[in-house]
Amino acid sequence: MELDFYQFSTATVLLMLAAFYGGTYLLTLMIRKKNENADAYMVANQRIGIGLASSSMTATWIWAASFYAAATSGYTYGVSGPLHYGLWGALMILFIYPFGQRFRKLAPKAHTLGELIHARHGSSSQLILAVSNVLGSTISLMVNFTAAGALVAVLSPLSFQAGVIIAGVGVLAYTFWSGFRAAVFTDFIQLVALMAIAVVIIPAILFAMGGPSAFVTGLSSLTLEQQSFFSKTAFLEQGAPFFFAVLAYAVGNQTISQRLFAVDEKHIKSTFITATLGYGAIVIGLGMIGLLALTAGIEPMNGDTNNLIPQVVSTYLSPIMVALFFLLVISSLSSTADSDLCALSAIMMADVYGKNIAKDKPDPTRMLFIGRITMVAATAIGIVFASFSLDILVMLVFVGALWGAIVFPVIASVFWDKVTNAAFTWSVTVAMLLFCLVRFELLPMVGLIAYVFEAFSAVGAAVVIGLMAFAFLGVRLGAVFGVLAGIAALYFNLGFMRDYTVLLASLTAFGVSTLVCTVMSLMSKAPRFDFGTINEEVQSYDPSA
Amino acid sequence: MNTKTALYSLYILMWPALSLGVLLYILRSVVRDAREAKKQNKGIV
Repeated sequence: MELDFYQFSTATVLLMLAAFYGGTYLLTLMIRKKNENADAYMVANQRIGIGLASSSMTATWIWAASFYAAATSGYTYGVSGPLHYGLWGALMILFIYPFGQRFRKLAPKAHTLGELIHARHGSSSQLILAVSNVLGSTISLMVNFTAAGALVAVLSPLSFQAGVIIAGVGVLAYTFWSGFRAAVFTDFIQLVALMAIAVVIIPAILFAMGGPSAFVTGLSSLTLEQQSFFSKTAFLEQGAPFFFAVLAYAVGNQTISQRLFAVDEKHIKSTFITATLGYGAIVIGLGMIGLLALTAGIEPMNGDTNNLIPQVVSTYLSPIMVALFFLLVISSLSSTADSDLCALSAIMMADVYGKNIAKDKPDPTRMLFIGRITMVAATAIGIVFASFSLDILVMLVFVGALWGAIVFPVIASVFWDKVTNAAFTWSVTVAMLLFCLVRFELLPMVGLIAYVFEAFSAVGAAVVIGLMAFAFLGVRLGAVFGVLAGIAALYFNLGFMRDYTVLLASLTAFGVSTLVCTVMSLMSKAPRFDFGTINEEVQSYDPSA
Repeated sequence: MNTKTALYSLYILMWPALSLGVLLYILRSVVRDAREAKKQNKGIV
Protein backbone atom coordinates (compact mmCIF):
# COMPACT_ATOMS: atom_id res chain seq x y z
CA MET A 1 0.00 0.00 0.00
CA GLU A 2 1.13 3.57 -0.67
CA LEU A 3 0.58 6.17 2.03
CA ASP A 4 0.29 9.94 1.63
CA PHE A 5 1.88 12.81 3.59
CA TYR A 6 0.17 14.92 6.23
CA GLN A 7 -0.05 18.57 5.14
CA PHE A 8 0.53 21.53 7.47
CA SER A 9 -0.67 24.97 6.44
CA THR A 10 1.96 27.49 5.35
CA ALA A 11 1.37 29.54 8.49
CA THR A 12 1.87 26.50 10.77
CA VAL A 13 5.17 25.52 9.16
CA LEU A 14 6.44 29.11 9.22
CA LEU A 15 5.44 29.37 12.87
CA MET A 16 7.26 26.14 13.76
CA LEU A 17 10.41 27.21 11.91
CA ALA A 18 10.27 30.68 13.47
CA ALA A 19 9.85 29.13 16.93
CA PHE A 20 12.74 26.72 16.36
CA TYR A 21 15.27 29.12 14.84
CA GLY A 22 14.07 32.13 16.85
CA GLY A 23 14.23 30.14 20.09
CA THR A 24 17.69 28.81 19.24
CA TYR A 25 18.93 32.31 18.43
CA LEU A 26 17.58 33.65 21.73
CA LEU A 27 19.36 30.84 23.58
CA THR A 28 22.70 31.86 22.10
CA LEU A 29 22.21 35.34 23.58
CA MET A 30 22.72 33.69 27.01
CA ILE A 31 26.35 32.86 26.18
CA ARG A 32 27.10 35.75 23.84
CA LYS A 33 30.12 37.98 24.52
CA LYS A 34 30.57 41.39 22.97
CA ASN A 35 34.19 40.60 22.20
CA GLU A 36 34.57 36.96 21.25
CA ASN A 37 38.16 35.73 20.87
CA ALA A 38 39.54 33.60 18.08
CA ASP A 39 40.28 30.54 20.26
CA ALA A 40 36.80 30.45 21.78
CA TYR A 41 35.28 30.91 18.32
CA MET A 42 37.02 27.69 17.21
CA VAL A 43 37.18 25.42 20.28
CA ALA A 44 35.34 27.23 23.12
CA ASN A 45 37.27 27.07 26.40
CA GLN A 46 38.88 23.63 25.69
CA ARG A 47 37.39 22.32 28.94
CA ILE A 48 33.81 21.54 27.92
CA GLY A 49 32.20 19.00 30.26
CA ILE A 50 30.81 15.53 29.44
CA GLY A 51 27.20 16.64 29.06
CA LEU A 52 27.68 19.39 26.50
CA ALA A 53 30.52 17.62 24.69
CA SER A 54 28.73 14.28 24.31
CA SER A 55 25.48 15.92 23.25
CA SER A 56 27.39 17.98 20.71
CA MET A 57 29.25 14.92 19.38
CA THR A 58 26.00 12.96 19.08
CA ALA A 59 24.06 15.82 17.49
CA THR A 60 26.86 16.45 14.99
CA TRP A 61 27.18 12.78 14.03
CA ILE A 62 23.43 12.50 13.45
CA TRP A 63 22.24 14.34 10.38
CA ALA A 64 18.96 14.14 8.56
CA ALA A 65 20.32 11.45 6.24
CA SER A 66 21.21 9.23 9.23
CA PHE A 67 17.72 8.10 10.07
CA TYR A 68 16.40 8.21 6.51
CA ALA A 69 19.28 5.90 5.52
CA ALA A 70 18.82 3.70 8.62
CA ALA A 71 15.12 3.34 7.76
CA THR A 72 16.03 2.55 4.15
CA SER A 73 18.41 -0.11 5.42
CA GLY A 74 15.66 -1.60 7.61
CA TYR A 75 13.21 -1.52 4.70
CA THR A 76 15.69 -3.10 2.27
CA TYR A 77 17.50 -5.66 4.40
CA GLY A 78 14.93 -6.48 7.10
CA VAL A 79 15.64 -7.09 10.79
CA SER A 80 19.43 -6.66 10.57
CA GLY A 81 19.22 -3.55 8.36
CA PRO A 82 19.03 -0.82 11.05
CA LEU A 83 21.93 -2.47 12.90
CA HIS A 84 24.08 -2.48 9.77
CA TYR A 85 23.62 1.27 9.52
CA GLY A 86 23.56 2.47 13.12
CA LEU A 87 25.86 0.07 14.92
CA TRP A 88 28.91 0.64 12.74
CA GLY A 89 28.39 4.40 12.74
CA ALA A 90 28.20 4.32 16.54
CA LEU A 91 31.27 2.13 16.94
CA MET A 92 33.33 4.52 14.89
CA ILE A 93 32.73 7.25 17.47
CA LEU A 94 34.08 4.84 20.05
CA PHE A 95 37.14 3.86 18.02
CA ILE A 96 38.24 7.43 17.40
CA TYR A 97 38.71 8.45 21.02
CA PRO A 98 42.07 6.71 21.71
CA PHE A 99 43.49 8.51 18.67
CA GLY A 100 41.84 11.71 19.87
CA GLN A 101 43.61 11.38 23.21
CA ARG A 102 46.90 11.16 21.31
CA PHE A 103 46.06 14.24 19.17
CA ARG A 104 45.24 16.15 22.33
CA LYS A 105 48.41 15.04 24.12
CA LEU A 106 50.63 16.14 21.22
CA ALA A 107 48.86 19.46 20.59
CA PRO A 108 46.76 20.51 23.60
CA LYS A 109 46.19 23.98 22.19
CA ALA A 110 45.25 22.94 18.66
CA HIS A 111 42.06 24.05 16.95
CA THR A 112 42.21 21.78 13.91
CA LEU A 113 43.86 18.47 13.08
CA GLY A 114 45.47 20.34 10.19
CA GLU A 115 47.50 22.47 12.61
CA LEU A 116 48.92 19.32 14.19
CA ILE A 117 49.74 17.84 10.79
CA HIS A 118 51.30 21.17 9.72
CA ALA A 119 53.59 21.05 12.74
CA ARG A 120 54.41 17.40 11.98
CA HIS A 121 54.88 17.61 8.21
CA GLY A 122 54.35 21.08 6.73
CA SER A 123 51.91 22.68 4.35
CA SER A 124 51.20 20.05 1.69
CA SER A 125 49.96 17.40 4.14
CA GLN A 126 48.01 20.01 6.09
CA LEU A 127 46.37 21.32 2.93
CA ILE A 128 45.27 17.80 1.93
CA LEU A 129 43.33 17.67 5.19
CA ALA A 130 42.02 21.21 4.75
CA VAL A 131 40.81 20.62 1.18
CA SER A 132 39.10 17.36 2.11
CA ASN A 133 37.28 19.12 4.94
CA VAL A 134 36.25 22.13 2.89
CA LEU A 135 34.72 19.78 0.32
CA GLY A 136 33.22 17.48 2.95
CA SER A 137 31.64 20.20 5.06
CA THR A 138 30.30 22.04 2.01
CA ILE A 139 28.65 18.83 0.82
CA SER A 140 27.27 18.19 4.28
CA LEU A 141 25.82 21.72 4.42
CA MET A 142 24.19 21.23 1.06
CA VAL A 143 22.75 17.84 2.01
CA ASN A 144 21.30 19.20 5.25
CA PHE A 145 19.77 22.25 3.57
CA THR A 146 18.37 19.94 0.89
CA ALA A 147 16.79 17.77 3.59
CA ALA A 148 15.16 20.87 5.09
CA GLY A 149 13.80 21.90 1.69
CA ALA A 150 12.47 18.42 0.97
CA LEU A 151 10.78 18.15 4.36
CA VAL A 152 9.11 21.55 4.06
CA ALA A 153 7.99 20.74 0.51
CA VAL A 154 6.37 17.39 1.37
CA LEU A 155 4.67 18.49 4.60
CA SER A 156 3.42 21.94 3.55
CA PRO A 157 2.51 24.06 0.52
CA LEU A 158 5.80 25.96 0.88
CA SER A 159 8.38 25.42 -1.86
CA PHE A 160 11.59 23.40 -1.60
CA GLN A 161 13.65 26.58 -2.07
CA ALA A 162 11.85 28.31 0.80
CA GLY A 163 12.77 25.46 3.14
CA VAL A 164 16.40 25.56 1.99
CA ILE A 165 16.70 29.33 2.53
CA ILE A 166 14.96 29.33 5.92
CA ALA A 167 17.23 26.54 7.21
CA GLY A 168 20.39 28.22 5.84
CA VAL A 169 19.61 31.64 7.24
CA GLY A 170 18.33 30.19 10.53
CA VAL A 171 21.51 28.17 11.19
CA LEU A 172 23.78 31.06 10.18
CA ALA A 173 21.90 33.51 12.41
CA TYR A 174 22.53 31.63 15.64
CA THR A 175 26.08 30.44 14.80
CA PHE A 176 27.53 33.60 13.24
CA TRP A 177 28.50 35.62 16.32
CA SER A 178 29.78 33.08 18.86
CA GLY A 179 30.87 30.31 16.45
CA PHE A 180 31.73 26.98 18.08
CA ARG A 181 30.46 28.10 21.51
CA ALA A 182 27.02 28.71 20.04
CA ALA A 183 27.11 25.42 18.12
CA VAL A 184 27.96 23.35 21.21
CA PHE A 185 25.40 25.11 23.39
CA THR A 186 22.57 24.78 20.87
CA ASP A 187 23.58 21.18 20.01
CA PHE A 188 22.68 20.29 23.58
CA ILE A 189 19.20 21.79 23.31
CA GLN A 190 18.67 20.30 19.85
CA LEU A 191 19.81 16.85 20.98
CA VAL A 192 17.53 16.90 24.01
CA ALA A 193 14.60 17.69 21.71
CA LEU A 194 15.70 15.07 19.18
CA MET A 195 16.09 12.31 21.78
CA ALA A 196 12.90 13.13 23.65
CA ILE A 197 10.92 13.03 20.40
CA ALA A 198 12.60 9.79 19.25
CA VAL A 199 11.78 8.16 22.61
CA VAL A 200 8.09 8.93 22.07
CA ILE A 201 7.76 8.40 18.32
CA ILE A 202 9.25 4.89 17.97
CA PRO A 203 6.91 3.08 20.42
CA ALA A 204 3.99 5.23 19.20
CA ILE A 205 4.49 4.00 15.64
CA LEU A 206 4.96 0.37 16.72
CA PHE A 207 1.64 0.35 18.57
CA ALA A 208 -0.21 2.48 16.00
CA MET A 209 0.71 -0.11 13.35
CA GLY A 210 -0.93 -2.91 15.29
CA GLY A 211 1.68 -3.62 17.99
CA PRO A 212 4.26 -6.41 18.29
CA SER A 213 1.82 -9.15 17.21
CA ALA A 214 1.10 -7.44 13.88
CA PHE A 215 4.85 -6.94 13.39
CA VAL A 216 5.61 -10.62 14.00
CA THR A 217 2.79 -11.64 11.64
CA GLY A 218 4.21 -9.30 8.98
CA LEU A 219 7.67 -10.87 9.32
CA SER A 220 6.42 -14.04 7.64
CA SER A 221 5.98 -12.14 4.38
CA LEU A 222 9.70 -11.25 4.26
CA THR A 223 12.43 -13.21 2.52
CA LEU A 224 14.58 -15.53 4.64
CA GLU A 225 17.50 -13.08 4.33
CA GLN A 226 15.31 -10.23 5.55
CA GLN A 227 14.19 -12.31 8.53
CA SER A 228 17.76 -13.14 9.53
CA PHE A 229 19.85 -11.18 12.02
CA PHE A 230 22.93 -12.48 10.18
CA SER A 231 22.07 -11.51 6.61
CA LYS A 232 25.16 -11.80 4.39
CA THR A 233 23.65 -9.44 1.82
CA ALA A 234 23.00 -6.78 4.47
CA PHE A 235 26.58 -7.06 5.70
CA LEU A 236 28.24 -6.93 2.28
CA GLU A 237 26.01 -4.27 0.72
CA GLN A 238 25.31 -2.04 3.72
CA GLY A 239 27.34 -2.89 6.81
CA ALA A 240 30.84 -3.40 5.46
CA PRO A 241 31.04 -0.39 3.09
CA PHE A 242 29.56 1.84 5.79
CA PHE A 243 31.93 0.45 8.43
CA PHE A 244 35.00 1.43 6.38
CA ALA A 245 33.49 4.73 5.23
CA VAL A 246 32.71 5.99 8.72
CA LEU A 247 36.16 5.13 10.03
CA ALA A 248 37.53 7.43 7.35
CA TYR A 249 34.93 10.04 8.21
CA ALA A 250 35.77 9.88 11.93
CA VAL A 251 39.50 10.35 11.48
CA GLY A 252 39.52 12.96 8.74
CA ASN A 253 36.58 15.16 9.67
CA GLN A 254 37.18 18.52 11.34
CA THR A 255 33.73 18.51 12.99
CA ILE A 256 34.93 15.53 15.05
CA SER A 257 38.48 16.72 15.74
CA GLN A 258 37.16 20.16 16.71
CA ARG A 259 35.22 18.49 19.54
CA LEU A 260 38.25 16.41 20.48
CA PHE A 261 40.20 19.63 20.95
CA ALA A 262 37.33 21.35 22.79
CA VAL A 263 36.34 18.79 25.43
CA ASP A 264 38.04 18.72 28.82
CA GLU A 265 40.97 16.35 28.23
CA LYS A 266 40.08 14.10 31.16
CA HIS A 267 36.55 13.60 29.78
CA ILE A 268 37.44 12.50 26.22
CA LYS A 269 36.77 8.81 26.90
CA SER A 270 33.45 9.22 28.74
CA THR A 271 32.28 11.80 26.20
CA PHE A 272 32.85 9.46 23.28
CA ILE A 273 31.32 6.44 25.04
CA THR A 274 28.17 8.47 25.79
CA ALA A 275 28.02 9.72 22.20
CA THR A 276 28.42 6.14 20.93
CA LEU A 277 25.44 4.97 22.94
CA GLY A 278 23.36 8.02 22.08
CA TYR A 279 24.02 7.81 18.35
CA GLY A 280 23.41 4.05 18.19
CA ALA A 281 20.17 4.22 20.15
CA ILE A 282 18.62 7.05 18.15
CA VAL A 283 19.68 5.97 14.67
CA ILE A 284 18.97 2.25 15.08
CA GLY A 285 15.69 3.10 16.81
CA LEU A 286 14.52 5.37 13.99
CA GLY A 287 15.77 2.77 11.49
CA MET A 288 13.21 0.39 12.99
CA ILE A 289 10.50 2.52 11.34
CA GLY A 290 11.77 1.25 7.97
CA LEU A 291 11.54 -2.33 9.23
CA LEU A 292 7.99 -1.73 10.51
CA ALA A 293 7.06 -0.25 7.12
CA LEU A 294 8.43 -3.36 5.41
CA THR A 295 6.45 -5.77 7.56
CA ALA A 296 3.30 -3.67 7.06
CA GLY A 297 3.74 -3.86 3.26
CA ILE A 298 4.06 -0.08 2.80
CA GLU A 299 5.39 1.15 -0.55
CA PRO A 300 7.61 4.27 -0.49
CA MET A 301 6.06 7.16 -2.40
CA ASN A 302 7.55 7.54 -5.92
CA GLY A 303 9.83 4.61 -5.06
CA ASP A 304 11.96 6.93 -2.90
CA THR A 305 12.76 5.24 0.42
CA ASN A 306 13.61 8.65 1.95
CA ASN A 307 9.83 9.18 1.99
CA LEU A 308 9.22 6.16 4.24
CA ILE A 309 9.54 7.81 7.67
CA PRO A 310 7.47 10.92 6.76
CA GLN A 311 4.82 8.66 5.17
CA VAL A 312 4.56 6.37 8.21
CA VAL A 313 4.54 9.27 10.67
CA SER A 314 1.92 11.13 8.60
CA THR A 315 -0.39 8.14 8.38
CA TYR A 316 -0.20 6.53 11.79
CA LEU A 317 0.38 9.44 14.17
CA SER A 318 -1.58 12.51 15.20
CA PRO A 319 -0.80 15.98 13.75
CA ILE A 320 0.99 16.91 17.00
CA MET A 321 3.33 13.94 16.60
CA VAL A 322 3.90 14.87 12.95
CA ALA A 323 4.87 18.36 14.17
CA LEU A 324 7.26 16.79 16.69
CA PHE A 325 8.76 14.67 13.91
CA PHE A 326 9.19 17.84 11.84
CA LEU A 327 11.14 19.42 14.71
CA LEU A 328 13.20 16.23 15.12
CA VAL A 329 14.40 16.43 11.51
CA ILE A 330 15.03 20.19 11.70
CA SER A 331 17.00 19.70 14.95
CA SER A 332 19.18 16.97 13.48
CA LEU A 333 20.00 18.80 10.27
CA SER A 334 20.60 22.14 12.01
CA SER A 335 22.97 20.67 14.59
CA THR A 336 25.09 19.13 11.84
CA ALA A 337 24.94 22.24 9.65
CA ASP A 338 26.11 24.53 12.46
CA SER A 339 29.04 22.14 13.10
CA ASP A 340 29.95 22.30 9.43
CA LEU A 341 29.93 26.10 9.52
CA CYS A 342 32.22 26.02 12.56
CA ALA A 343 34.53 23.45 10.94
CA LEU A 344 34.83 25.52 7.77
CA SER A 345 35.47 28.73 9.69
CA ALA A 346 38.16 27.05 11.86
CA ILE A 347 39.91 25.68 8.77
CA MET A 348 39.94 29.08 7.08
CA MET A 349 41.02 30.80 10.32
CA ALA A 350 43.73 28.42 11.51
CA ASP A 351 44.84 26.31 8.53
CA VAL A 352 44.57 28.80 5.69
CA TYR A 353 45.04 32.21 7.33
CA GLY A 354 46.96 31.29 10.52
CA LYS A 355 49.46 28.83 9.06
CA ASN A 356 49.72 29.71 5.39
CA ILE A 357 48.97 33.44 5.02
CA ALA A 358 49.94 35.05 8.32
CA LYS A 359 52.70 32.44 8.82
CA ASP A 360 52.11 32.00 12.56
CA LYS A 361 51.82 35.74 13.24
CA PRO A 362 48.08 36.15 12.80
CA ASP A 363 46.01 39.10 13.92
CA PRO A 364 43.26 37.56 16.15
CA THR A 365 40.73 40.26 15.18
CA ARG A 366 41.26 39.64 11.47
CA MET A 367 41.15 35.92 12.16
CA LEU A 368 37.72 36.25 13.76
CA PHE A 369 36.53 38.34 10.82
CA ILE A 370 37.73 35.63 8.42
CA GLY A 371 35.83 33.03 10.44
CA ARG A 372 32.57 34.96 10.24
CA ILE A 373 32.95 35.79 6.54
CA THR A 374 33.61 32.08 5.91
CA MET A 375 30.34 31.19 7.60
CA VAL A 376 28.40 33.64 5.44
CA ALA A 377 30.08 32.44 2.24
CA ALA A 378 29.66 28.75 3.14
CA THR A 379 25.96 29.25 3.90
CA ALA A 380 25.45 31.05 0.59
CA ILE A 381 27.23 28.25 -1.31
CA GLY A 382 25.25 25.58 0.58
CA ILE A 383 21.96 27.30 -0.23
CA VAL A 384 22.83 27.76 -3.90
CA PHE A 385 24.02 24.15 -4.34
CA ALA A 386 20.96 22.81 -2.50
CA SER A 387 18.52 25.05 -4.40
CA PHE A 388 19.78 23.82 -7.76
CA SER A 389 19.70 20.19 -6.54
CA LEU A 390 23.18 19.62 -8.00
CA ASP A 391 24.33 16.04 -8.45
CA ILE A 392 27.02 15.65 -5.81
CA LEU A 393 27.54 11.92 -6.01
CA VAL A 394 30.98 12.16 -7.65
CA MET A 395 32.12 14.81 -5.15
CA LEU A 396 30.79 12.72 -2.27
CA VAL A 397 32.60 9.62 -3.48
CA PHE A 398 35.80 11.63 -3.97
CA VAL A 399 35.74 13.09 -0.44
CA GLY A 400 35.00 9.69 1.09
CA ALA A 401 37.99 8.25 -0.74
CA LEU A 402 40.23 11.12 0.30
CA TRP A 403 39.34 10.60 3.93
CA GLY A 404 39.91 6.83 3.52
CA ALA A 405 43.31 7.47 1.99
CA ILE A 406 44.46 9.73 4.84
CA VAL A 407 43.46 7.42 7.73
CA PHE A 408 46.72 5.51 7.96
CA PRO A 409 49.06 8.42 7.11
CA VAL A 410 47.40 10.63 9.77
CA ILE A 411 47.47 7.98 12.49
CA ALA A 412 50.99 6.81 11.61
CA SER A 413 52.18 10.42 11.64
CA VAL A 414 51.18 10.92 15.27
CA PHE A 415 52.68 7.65 16.56
CA TRP A 416 55.64 6.83 14.28
CA ASP A 417 58.59 9.23 14.06
CA LYS A 418 59.78 7.85 10.68
CA VAL A 419 56.80 9.10 8.62
CA THR A 420 57.81 11.94 6.29
CA ASN A 421 55.87 14.68 4.52
CA ALA A 422 56.66 13.03 1.15
CA ALA A 423 55.38 9.67 2.42
CA PHE A 424 52.16 11.31 3.62
CA THR A 425 51.54 13.27 0.42
CA TRP A 426 52.47 10.53 -2.05
CA SER A 427 50.60 7.81 -0.20
CA VAL A 428 47.39 9.85 -0.36
CA THR A 429 47.95 10.78 -4.02
CA VAL A 430 48.65 7.22 -5.19
CA ALA A 431 45.77 5.80 -3.13
CA MET A 432 43.38 8.34 -4.66
CA LEU A 433 44.50 7.47 -8.19
CA LEU A 434 44.01 3.73 -7.67
CA PHE A 435 40.71 4.33 -5.87
CA CYS A 436 39.39 6.24 -8.90
CA LEU A 437 40.47 3.45 -11.26
CA VAL A 438 38.38 0.96 -9.27
CA ARG A 439 35.42 3.09 -8.18
CA PHE A 440 34.72 4.56 -11.61
CA GLU A 441 35.44 1.20 -13.30
CA LEU A 442 38.21 2.62 -15.48
CA LEU A 443 39.95 -0.76 -15.48
CA PRO A 444 38.31 -4.11 -16.32
CA MET A 445 38.13 -6.05 -13.02
CA VAL A 446 39.18 -9.39 -14.49
CA GLY A 447 42.20 -11.65 -14.41
CA LEU A 448 45.45 -10.44 -12.85
CA ILE A 449 44.24 -6.85 -12.42
CA ALA A 450 41.33 -8.01 -10.28
CA TYR A 451 43.59 -10.21 -8.16
CA VAL A 452 46.01 -7.32 -7.56
CA PHE A 453 43.23 -5.00 -6.39
CA GLU A 454 41.69 -7.73 -4.27
CA ALA A 455 45.09 -8.15 -2.60
CA PHE A 456 45.22 -4.37 -1.98
CA SER A 457 41.74 -4.55 -0.49
CA ALA A 458 42.88 -7.35 1.85
CA VAL A 459 45.67 -5.04 3.05
CA GLY A 460 43.02 -2.34 3.54
CA ALA A 461 40.90 -4.66 5.70
CA ALA A 462 44.00 -5.61 7.69
CA VAL A 463 44.79 -1.92 8.26
CA VAL A 464 41.30 -1.09 9.52
CA ILE A 465 41.12 -4.05 11.92
CA GLY A 466 44.76 -3.54 12.95
CA LEU A 467 44.24 0.16 13.71
CA MET A 468 41.15 -0.56 15.77
CA ALA A 469 42.97 -3.21 17.80
CA PHE A 470 45.98 -0.90 18.11
CA ALA A 471 43.77 1.88 19.50
CA PHE A 472 42.72 -0.20 22.49
CA LEU A 473 45.31 -2.97 22.82
CA GLY A 474 48.61 -1.44 21.73
CA VAL A 475 51.00 -1.95 18.86
CA ARG A 476 51.78 -5.67 19.24
CA LEU A 477 48.21 -6.91 19.48
CA GLY A 478 47.26 -4.39 16.80
CA ALA A 479 49.79 -6.02 14.48
CA VAL A 480 48.57 -9.51 15.39
CA PHE A 481 44.93 -8.60 14.69
CA GLY A 482 45.96 -6.81 11.50
CA VAL A 483 47.90 -9.81 10.16
CA LEU A 484 45.11 -12.25 11.05
CA ALA A 485 42.52 -9.97 9.43
CA GLY A 486 44.74 -9.62 6.36
CA ILE A 487 45.11 -13.41 5.96
CA ALA A 488 41.36 -13.92 6.39
CA ALA A 489 40.57 -11.08 3.98
CA LEU A 490 42.99 -12.45 1.38
CA TYR A 491 41.29 -15.85 1.62
CA PHE A 492 37.80 -14.37 1.17
CA ASN A 493 38.61 -11.49 -1.20
CA LEU A 494 40.45 -13.29 -4.00
CA GLY A 495 38.01 -14.02 -6.81
CA PHE A 496 35.12 -12.53 -4.82
CA MET A 497 35.59 -8.85 -3.94
CA ARG A 498 35.69 -7.76 -7.62
CA ASP A 499 31.87 -7.93 -7.66
CA TYR A 500 31.57 -5.36 -4.84
CA THR A 501 33.03 -2.25 -6.48
CA VAL A 502 32.26 0.26 -3.69
CA LEU A 503 33.82 -1.90 -0.99
CA LEU A 504 36.77 -2.88 -3.19
CA ALA A 505 37.53 0.77 -3.98
CA SER A 506 37.28 1.91 -0.32
CA LEU A 507 39.56 -0.87 0.90
CA THR A 508 42.01 -0.19 -1.94
CA ALA A 509 42.34 3.42 -0.74
CA PHE A 510 43.10 2.23 2.82
CA GLY A 511 45.52 -0.49 1.67
CA VAL A 512 47.49 1.44 -0.94
CA SER A 513 47.99 4.53 1.22
CA THR A 514 49.31 2.25 3.99
CA LEU A 515 51.71 0.41 1.70
CA VAL A 516 53.11 3.56 0.06
CA CYS A 517 53.36 5.47 3.36
CA THR A 518 55.10 2.57 5.11
CA VAL A 519 57.57 1.79 2.31
CA MET A 520 58.53 5.44 1.74
CA SER A 521 58.93 6.06 5.47
CA LEU A 522 61.13 3.00 5.93
CA MET A 523 63.29 3.99 2.95
CA SER A 524 63.66 7.59 4.12
CA LYS A 525 67.02 8.71 5.48
CA ALA A 526 65.51 11.81 7.11
CA PRO A 527 66.18 12.23 10.86
CA ARG A 528 63.51 10.90 13.19
CA PHE A 529 60.86 13.43 14.20
CA ASP A 530 60.76 14.87 17.71
CA PHE A 531 57.06 14.88 18.75
CA GLY A 532 57.81 17.40 21.51
CA THR A 533 58.14 20.15 18.90
CA ILE A 534 54.44 19.96 17.97
CA ASN A 535 53.31 21.52 21.23
CA GLU A 536 55.78 24.37 20.74
CA GLU A 537 54.49 25.13 17.27
CA VAL A 538 50.72 24.77 17.80
CA GLN A 539 49.82 27.69 20.03
CA SER A 540 46.83 29.66 21.25
CA TYR A 541 45.70 32.72 19.28
CA ASP A 542 44.17 34.40 22.31
CA PRO A 543 46.57 37.12 23.56
CA SER A 544 45.34 36.64 27.14
CA ALA A 545 45.96 32.86 27.14
CA MET B 1 2.29 -12.68 24.02
CA ASN B 2 4.58 -15.56 23.06
CA THR B 3 8.36 -15.57 23.42
CA LYS B 4 9.04 -14.66 19.79
CA THR B 5 6.74 -11.64 19.98
CA ALA B 6 8.27 -10.56 23.29
CA LEU B 7 11.82 -10.80 21.91
CA TYR B 8 10.98 -8.79 18.80
CA SER B 9 9.21 -6.18 20.96
CA LEU B 10 12.35 -5.95 23.06
CA TYR B 11 14.48 -5.62 19.90
CA ILE B 12 12.45 -2.63 18.73
CA LEU B 13 11.79 -0.93 22.06
CA MET B 14 15.26 -1.28 23.58
CA TRP B 15 16.53 1.59 21.40
CA PRO B 16 14.13 4.27 22.63
CA ALA B 17 14.73 2.98 26.17
CA LEU B 18 18.49 3.33 25.69
CA SER B 19 17.95 6.81 24.20
CA LEU B 20 16.03 7.78 27.32
CA GLY B 21 18.84 6.52 29.55
CA VAL B 22 21.47 8.48 27.61
CA LEU B 23 19.25 11.57 27.60
CA LEU B 24 18.89 11.47 31.41
CA TYR B 25 22.66 10.98 31.80
CA ILE B 26 23.40 13.95 29.53
CA LEU B 27 20.91 16.17 31.37
CA ARG B 28 22.43 15.25 34.74
CA SER B 29 25.96 15.91 33.44
CA VAL B 30 25.04 19.31 32.06
CA VAL B 31 23.40 20.34 35.34
CA ARG B 32 26.60 19.32 37.18
CA ASP B 33 28.80 21.18 34.67
CA ALA B 34 26.63 24.29 34.99
CA ARG B 35 26.87 24.22 38.80
CA GLU B 36 30.63 23.75 38.63
CA ALA B 37 31.02 26.60 36.15
CA LYS B 38 28.88 28.86 38.34
CA LYS B 39 31.02 28.03 41.40
CA GLN B 40 34.13 29.03 39.47
CA ASN B 41 32.37 32.08 38.06
CA LYS B 42 33.02 30.88 34.49
CA GLY B 43 30.78 30.19 31.52
CA ILE B 44 29.71 26.62 30.74
CA VAL B 45 31.21 27.00 27.24
